Amino acid sequence: MYILQMFEDMGKIFVKYWDLFLIKGLSATILLSIMTVFFGTVFGALLALVKIGKIKPLKWIVNAIVEIIRGTPMLLQLYISTFLIPVLIPSMNELENKKLICISFTLILNSAAYVSEIIRSGIEAVDKGQTEAARSLGLNSTTTMIQVVLPQAVKNILPALGNEFITIIKETSLASTFYVGELMTQYHIIVGKTHNSLPILMIIGIIYFVLNFVLSKLLGVFERRMKAHA
Amino acid sequence: MLDVKNIYKNFGSLKVLEGVSTQIKEGEVVAIIGASGSGKSTLLRCMNLLENPTFGEVWMDGKLLTPVDPYLHPEVIMASKMYKKLIKSGMGSDSAVAKTKAEDLLNEKFSVAEGKEYTKAIKAIYEENHIDINVARQEMGMVFQQFNLFNNKSVLENITLAPMKTRAKQMIKDGKSKKEVKQYFDEKAMQLLCRIGLEEKANVYPSTLSGGQKQRIAIVRALAMNPKVMLFDEPTSALDPEMVGEVLDLIKELAKEGMTMVVVTHEMGFAREVADRVIFMHDGVIAEEGTPSEIFDNPKHPRLQQFLGSIL
Repeated sequence: MYILQMFEDMGKIFVKYWDLFLIKGLSATILLSIMTVFFGTVFGALLALVKIGKIKPLKWIVNAIVEIIRGTPMLLQLYISTFLIPVLIPSMNELENKKLICISFTLILNSAAYVSEIIRSGIEAVDKGQTEAARSLGLNSTTTMIQVVLPQAVKNILPALGNEFITIIKETSLASTFYVGELMTQYHIIVGKTHNSLPILMIIGIIYFVLNFVLSKLLGVFERRMKAHA
Repeated sequence: MLDVKNIYKNFGSLKVLEGVSTQIKEGEVVAIIGASGSGKSTLLRCMNLLENPTFGEVWMDGKLLTPVDPYLHPEVIMASKMYKKLIKSGMGSDSAVAKTKAEDLLNEKFSVAEGKEYTKAIKAIYEENHIDINVARQEMGMVFQQFNLFNNKSVLENITLAPMKTRAKQMIKDGKSKKEVKQYFDEKAMQLLCRIGLEEKANVYPSTLSGGQKQRIAIVRALAMNPKVMLFDEPTSALDPEMVGEVLDLIKELAKEGMTMVVVTHEMGFAREVADRVIFMHDGVIAEEGTPSEIFDNPKHPRLQQFLGSIL
């Protein structure tokens, strides 16, 4: 009986607050994820370059950062950054959306750490013989990287990067702890109005699932196409 | 042409080469044979510094490829503790180890060289005698056991990539347009492909080719740089038996044209037919070397006798 009641409530709530779910929440989630993946990939690529590079001290620093980020919970990192960054950069306090900046920073750093591992392993998965052949012809290491290694590494990297995108979409929900307006934040807002948690959670769950399901299917198609061209 | 002096190579605590010296003369075809693990591939890879020798020198046409002061070699510095031990344990007592060609030059030109003087002298030798490894490698073609064609490039691009990236700049400086240069290298690559009868494969990707075709393309890819010397690292070991012939024929053809070659091979018949000199490696040293008839008909070293017995 309760289940039927819940479905009825889900319908009612969705009809009443659909703009909060779809326009405010979903778009904020997607924007936050796209931004995180984009900058995460850019910084992740830089970190990966340091990792496969020869400058030992930089390598140690990057490895330490990556290990710390991978070894601590994201929620904890979000808390720490919202308190720590304004202390380190006092001028931040004057900004209106300083919370959002702190949270974006943490999300990006977090994603960069994982992406750097993806890119590093993608580059290292390219057969060593390819590098040797290019170097034996007299090409320098930069040309070898650009012409031979990276184009082949991209095929290893892109599918894993797609999975990282899906992970990030789910992880942005942690940002709701700080009311940044994405899907889970909308839950807090709507529950304040209706005092009925479960139907709202179910609706948000469905939205997340559909978003990620569609995305993973698209990635699958993309991946198969890349294999066909290889 | 190629002068290898006292090469030592360690992988960690594994000693692969223990003092190898040999000279490759212009137009000479040298075959390196030996059991697996004897260091023959490592020796070949040390010649173009795909493996950095732990100690020793490689010279090409009177230019030094390895670092000037063998003791300044990064790996030696890193392993300096180990080297002190090695020298104490007898490696240093071998006078050949201590006296390398760079030291000869040092003694020849700078009778007293210590401290700052030494650094200056080394720098002078460096400027006069050293050649950048990337430049040197343009003159040394290498062919690998696993072909190593670039998977992301078409056959034609495989051949033109290195000339375009290393030679085109100079040609553009000399007044040619970028288009002309590209056309020039494309035509040259097509000529090479015609030579091996694979001109219709110019625009396909390596994954669609047979092993024999891949290896022949790998050979002409190296030839496209007009190398002075070709290094072959077991060029037929990864091939199906019916494809070995076509690759060996191409290598024989090159030999006839007078190309200087160093071939690491398991094909004894081929070594006998093509080589001017055969080197037998055992336990990281040259155990025996000589003309093919000396090596194959009249082997002296017991390990060589055993090796030939097990193969033939």
